[in-house]
Parts: sequence; C-alpha cells; structure tokens
Amino acid sequence: MTAPVAGTRPKKIRSGLMQEVGLAVVVVLLATILGVYGWNDAAPGRPNTFFNVDNLIDGIATPMSYYAIMAIGVTLVIITGGIDISVGSVMALSALGGAAALQTLPVDAGAFHVLSLAFVVPLAIGLICGLINGGLIVGLKLHPFIVTLGTMSIFRGLANVLPAEKTLPSAGKQLPTAFTTNFMRLEIGGLQPMPLIIMLICVAFGWFYLRMLIAGRETYAIGGNEEAARFSGMRVGWVKLRTYSLAGLAAGLAGMVSLGRFGTASTSTASGYELTVIASAVVGGASLIGGRGTAIGALLGTLIIALIENGIIILRLAQEYRLVIIGLAIIIAVSLDRLSSIFRNRSSH
Amino acid sequence: MSAPFIQFRSITKTFGGVAALTDVTLSIPRGECHGLMGENGAGKSTLGKILAGIHKPEKGEMEIDGHLHVFSSPRDALAAGVAMVHQELAFCPELSVAENLSMGRYPKKFGAILDRAKMNAQAEELLAAIGVKLDVRSKMGDLSTAQEQIVQIAAAVGTNPRILIFDEPTSSLSAPEAERLFELIESLKVRGITMIYVSHRMPELFRLCDKISILRDGRYVGELSGPEMTESAVVRMMIGRDVESYFPNHLDGAPGEIVLKVRNLSSPGRFREVNFELRAGEILGFAGLVGAGRSEIAKAIFGLDPQAKGHVELDGKNLPLGSIRTSLDAGISLVPEDRKRQGCILGMACSANISMAVLPALTKAGMLDRTREKQISEKYFAELSIKAASPEAPVNSLSGGNQQKVVLAKWLAKGGRVLIVDEPTRGVDVGAKAAIHALIDQLARQGLAVILISSELPELINLSSRVIVMREGRLVGEIPRTQLDQESVLRLMAGVASAN
Repeated sequence: MTAPVAGTRPKKIRSGLMQEVGLAVVVVLLATILGVYGWNDAAPGRPNTFFNVDNLIDGIATPMSYYAIMAIGVTLVIITGGIDISVGSVMALSALGGAAALQTLPVDAGAFHVLSLAFVVPLAIGLICGLINGGLIVGLKLHPFIVTLGTMSIFRGLANVLPAEKTLPSAGKQLPTAFTTNFMRLEIGGLQPMPLIIMLICVAFGWFYLRMLIAGRETYAIGGNEEAARFSGMRVGWVKLRTYSLAGLAAGLAGMVSLGRFGTASTSTASGYELTVIASAVVGGASLIGGRGTAIGALLGTLIIALIENGIIILRLAQEYRLVIIGLAIIIAVSLDRLSSIFRNRSSH
Repeated sequence: MSAPFIQFRSITKTFGGVAALTDVTLSIPRGECHGLMGENGAGKSTLGKILAGIHKPEKGEMEIDGHLHVFSSPRDALAAGVAMVHQELAFCPELSVAENLSMGRYPKKFGAILDRAKMNAQAEELLAAIGVKLDVRSKMGDLSTAQEQIVQIAAAVGTNPRILIFDEPTSSLSAPEAERLFELIESLKVRGITMIYVSHRMPELFRLCDKISILRDGRYVGELSGPEMTESAVVRMMIGRDVESYFPNHLDGAPGEIVLKVRNLSSPGRFREVNFELRAGEILGFAGLVGAGRSEIAKAIFGLDPQAKGHVELDGKNLPLGSIRTSLDAGISLVPEDRKRQGCILGMACSANISMAVLPALTKAGMLDRTREKQISEKYFAELSIKAASPEAPVNSLSGGNQQKVVLAKWLAKGGRVLIVDEPTRGVDVGAKAAIHALIDQLARQGLAVILISSELPELINLSSRVIVMREGRLVGEIPRTQLDQESVLRLMAGVASAN
C-alpha cells in the first residue's frame, strides 16, 4: 500500500459514532411518523397528540428513564463480553430497601436527611448486588449468564421474603414528601422532569466513563480480546468486578427513581424489566460478543423502544400486539445493524 | 505443453474499493504443483480462495479442464473437485477426529441414529489414504497443531479432489513436522492431483513446486520454473527490487551485564530444570519443536504460569513468578506467539492497542490523555513504518506484518529490560519480516536483552547471538554464533546426536 492520495482517502468515522447517527435517524423517522399522525389525529384546536410536552415527558421520557439508566449499566457489562440479567430484581430489591428505610422517617422530615437516605440505601443495595454478581463471575470463573440467572432469582426471592408486606410503605404509612413530591415529582412548568434529568446525567456519566476514562478503554479492551488485555497487564478481574458493580449501581438508581416517582415499591416492581433493558442495549448497538457499544447508543436504543411503545398507544393499536411489535422491532434493529456492519467490513478491507 | 488444466483469465477482485486482485491471468497445467508467492496483501490467498469458491471475482473467468466455472460457494467448488487446506484451522475441539472428519455427512443407521462404528472406520480409511495412523477417537483439541493439519489434509483429500489448494500449511509447524507434510504433498503429486501451494517460505516452495507464480499488489508479475527459482529472483519479483541479506548489527557491541538469570525453573508437564542467563544487548535464540517448552518458559517468566517453580533474577533482584503485573513492572515484555488471540485486540484502533500497556500513565486530570496517546502512536507509526489508513484504523484492517509491528510498538512504548518475542514473523510477508528482524536487532543494539523464540531456523541463525535448543521440556544444548548452522540445531532439536 502506498501513501493515501489526497481526496481519495475515505474520511474515517468512529464506527460507534456512525451507529449512533443511524439510531438517531431511526428516532427522527419514528418521531416524524408519529408526529404527522398525531397532528392529523388531533381534534380541531387541540395540540398534536404525539408532539405535546405531556406525552413527551409523561408518556415517553419518564417511563423510559428506568430502562435507560439500567441499559447504560448493562451496556458496560455487554461491552466486556458479559451479560447481566439480574438488573430487574436488583431494581426491585433497591426500591423496597429504600422504601423500608424511608418509611421510618416522618412524612415531613428534613430534606437533607431524607434525600441522603433515599440515595444511599438503594444505591448501596444495588452496589452490593453488583459486587456479588461480579465477585461470583470473577472469583469462581462462572459464566455471567448463569451467575446473573441465579442472582436474578435470588434477589427477586429476597424482595419477596424480606419486606413484611407485598407493598411498601406499609399500610397507613407514607414516604417523606421531601423525596417524593418535592424531589422526584418536582414540578417545573407543570411538568415533572426529574427522572429525565437523572437519566441524562447517567448518559453523560456513561459517555464520560467510556470515552474519557482509562476505565472505559479497559472495558472495551477486555471485551475486544480478554486474553490480549491480560497479556498487556490489565487487571481483567478487577475491571469486570467494577463493571458489574456499576451495573448494580445503575439498577439501584433506577429503583430509587421509581420509588420516588410512584411513592411505593412492591415485590413485583420491575419484573421482566431485564429483557427490555438488554433489548435496549442491543438495539443501541452493544454487541453481545463484546468490545462494542456506547452510552448514547443505549439511550437511543431505549428511546426507540419507548417510541414504539408510545406509538402503539398514539396509533390506538391493540395492546395485545405490543409484545409482538416490540419483538419484531428488536430483531429488525439488530439485523439492520448486522447488515450495515457487513457492508462496512466489505468497504474497509 | 498441453492445454492448461486451470486457467484464470483477467480475474479482478476488490474488497470495498480496495483492489485485492487486478486483471490476473494465470494458467496451470494438469498435475503440476504450482507455487503462489507474494507479500502479504499481494493477493495470493485471495486467488486461492476464488478457486475454492470462498470469494467471487467481480471480473474475469475461471476454467477448469476446459470448462468455464462460476463458483458461488465452497460447495460448488468441491463439486467441481476443488478442495482447500486452510491456513486457519477450523475444527470443533470437543469432538473426536472421526466426528470432525465426517462432519456434515455423518453415516446413519435406521435413518437417524449415528453409525459410530462406520464413522470411525471411514475416518481411519481417510487417514490411511494419506498414510497416517492416528487414534480417530481422540479429541480434536488434544492433537498437536501438526496433527490437526494432517487431519485437515485428510479431510480435503477425502473429497477426491482434482485440485488441492494449500494456504500457508507450514505456518505453525516445526521443521520435522513440516518435513512430514512435504512428503505427504509429494505423494499426492504422484497421484496426479494438481496443487496450488501458497506460502511465504521459499525453501519449501523450491522443493515442492514445479513452477512459482509471483503476485505483487494484486497483479501477476510473472512465473519462474526450474533453475530460475532462486531466492534472489523471487524476492526481486516480489518486491520489485534487489535486497541484501541481513546481517545483524547488535553483534558489533560486546554483550553487557547479566540482566536475566534463570535457575532450576520447572513447571510440571511443560519444562524441567531450566537454567540460562541473558545479557543486555544480546539476542538469545530458543530453538525446539512446537511443544518442546520454549513458549512455556517465556510464559512462566512473564508470570503466566502459576505452577512454575524456580528462581528468576532480574538485574540481580529476585523476580516472584506467577503475576503478569509483577513481571511487567520489573520490565519484562512478551510478544506472544498467537498474535490474534494474545497479541492485539483486532477490533480496536491501532493507537488504542499501542497504548494498552502504558494506559495507567496516560492520564491528565484523571482522564485519558488522547493527545499523548496520539503522539505515542504516531511516533511508533513513523519509527516502525506501520502501514495503515491511520492510527485510528482497527488492527484487523492491517496486514499480518503490520499487526505484529503494532504489538511490538505496544511494548516499545512501555519500555523495559527484557523483550521476549515468540514467533515474531509468523504469517508475515518478506518485506515486513526484514523490517521486524532489523527492529529486533536494533533493540538489542540499544541494550535491550532479547529472547527470540522461533520455528524458522534461518531467522534464529541470522539474528541470534547464541541459540539454546530445547527438546521435550529440557535444555539440550547451547550453540554459540560461530558454530551456528541449521544442521547442528536440527540435530539437537530432534535428539539425533549431542553436539558436544
């Protein structure tokens, strides 16, 4: 090969960025379709049934925030070549733990006291669960799917057994308003954007972690080729432990957001969430083989699924088909990505 | 000369805009063993793969025995009597030899039940057909690389091919193993099978092939036959100019102080009671068959063998074994034998691969310092003349030689006292090979203590200050440079007679 001739050399674009752009195009496309329908559908003088802030915040951003927060954590795990299917159980356990701790406080307890407890308890529970996952995977050299399949069941079981009632706070009790009404349900301009804000902070953190920190590079390296990473002196076990801990932490945070938003947590909180979370991460471009994925991709992947869910409501499609449509969307998204990567490989060889 | 048996006409193949083959016209008579040579990326493997139905050319036609053929899959090629022995071996390591050999065409009883006895008998027959005896019940994963290769050839011959393509068949074989392979190929030639032999290694091409075609940058350069087949002629055609044979510079300087001292190093089942010393500015060659324990010693010193026992001293200080990080921090680097599995992260950018071992030091305000990372990779891109679209290009877009340079750059960026290179030029083209040799030599000249493990005797003999020979896990001899020749090393390796 000779020196590249000016003008003929294709501009190198980070493949992750190309994928993010592709996902953004899908988001714009979906939003446009729904927007046009919503405009057409609206009664005369009424706002667009899709493009109105209430739908965008309450119908899309808030419900997707739990998924997105966890999808970022799970994306980190998937980049290392692992998987974490216990996140839904961890979220439930964290929300219940948070509720159990917070219900001991009076309803009008001071904001500092309440918020520190509201953050520390669920996050600590999430972190511990993540450490257990990571510790078993690294220490016993077990496959992450098996370990988190086991802990998914254990954590959910603990969520069933530990609280005195099926739903917390217990009958007659209420969570402090400093956490619920005045924080997670804080109204700004008639909207409650706190879950959205926390989700965006998580995306920013995930982006920063993966793009700017040595830790992020180590995450990609280990997923790209664990043995070569080890041969280069990376502490593979430590990096994995850290990654599963972060996934646990993210699930704990999602538990906290859900607890603050609903004011309650139950033993069935977040049941089945793990599959949507993994689907979001994968639609967002994380490769189950490892070495590939981004935080922004995870956000966009979650957003695509959330738009489809919302679209089913906006278009007044039968709810019974929800699962079928979402399943199809996942498979289509991943096959498109696969096709584009085959195409990319052809053009880069 | 009779009409050509295989005729390529104006074959052009591009991979996404990059031409791998341009207008290649080539004919091969029946029963010939035809060599294909060229640097990595010259297109020789691509041509073989087109004939085997793996790639489809954009332009041109292919004739076999006067019939025009268009293959759209290896299955089509197989039906036309073309089989290929691949460079990378593809087997199921958990299945037996017999199960692997009859993969996809398992003999059945009662329509559904696997006929194990028949399957084993078929496998034995296939192996016997090429004169090999092997327990067909043994697990594929338990075989040596050489044995795996033989099984692959048995599978290819078992399809009764008219044409057999070999792609770098000796790249992971030691000299005596390769010798057995050559005898096998010669016996196939006697049977009248037309063969295409793709390789980097000239001696084996000269020995096996009737003619050699040379490709350069995807174009057909010419062919050599009989007495024209000389090393200098081939190299001239391959790279388009003459090259001088390489003589190392590091020998000019006197060897420095002892850097590495190894005493009674043993690891159960791998090697026993190994003793040697390594000086600064020295290249210590390690010769031996694959499995003689050379790479295993390297891994033990690098901290990869938790069972290794013994005493290793670096600069007079005891080096505890069993931790890569301890060895790394002490200044030991290893360029491992398996570049794709252990050396580099194929999907990651070159710059990220080069910075991998120095990442902890590459921080600014707690963040990854991308500016310095870029400087480091640009520095080594220039110094090692790594050829890639850019330092941000993924390693798997590079040729084998350039991938290896990236791995070397990773360790050069790290710096250190001892550099262990294990098969540094495996699967690397002639030009890159010379560059890697020069680089290793230059590093020794600069005072690095180098251990060179290689199955290529010319490489060991040309580069090393002295060579240690291993057999079955033991050091069986040490030959100083003045007495180094292929024969003496080979004798020690095979255990024919002691040099002393």
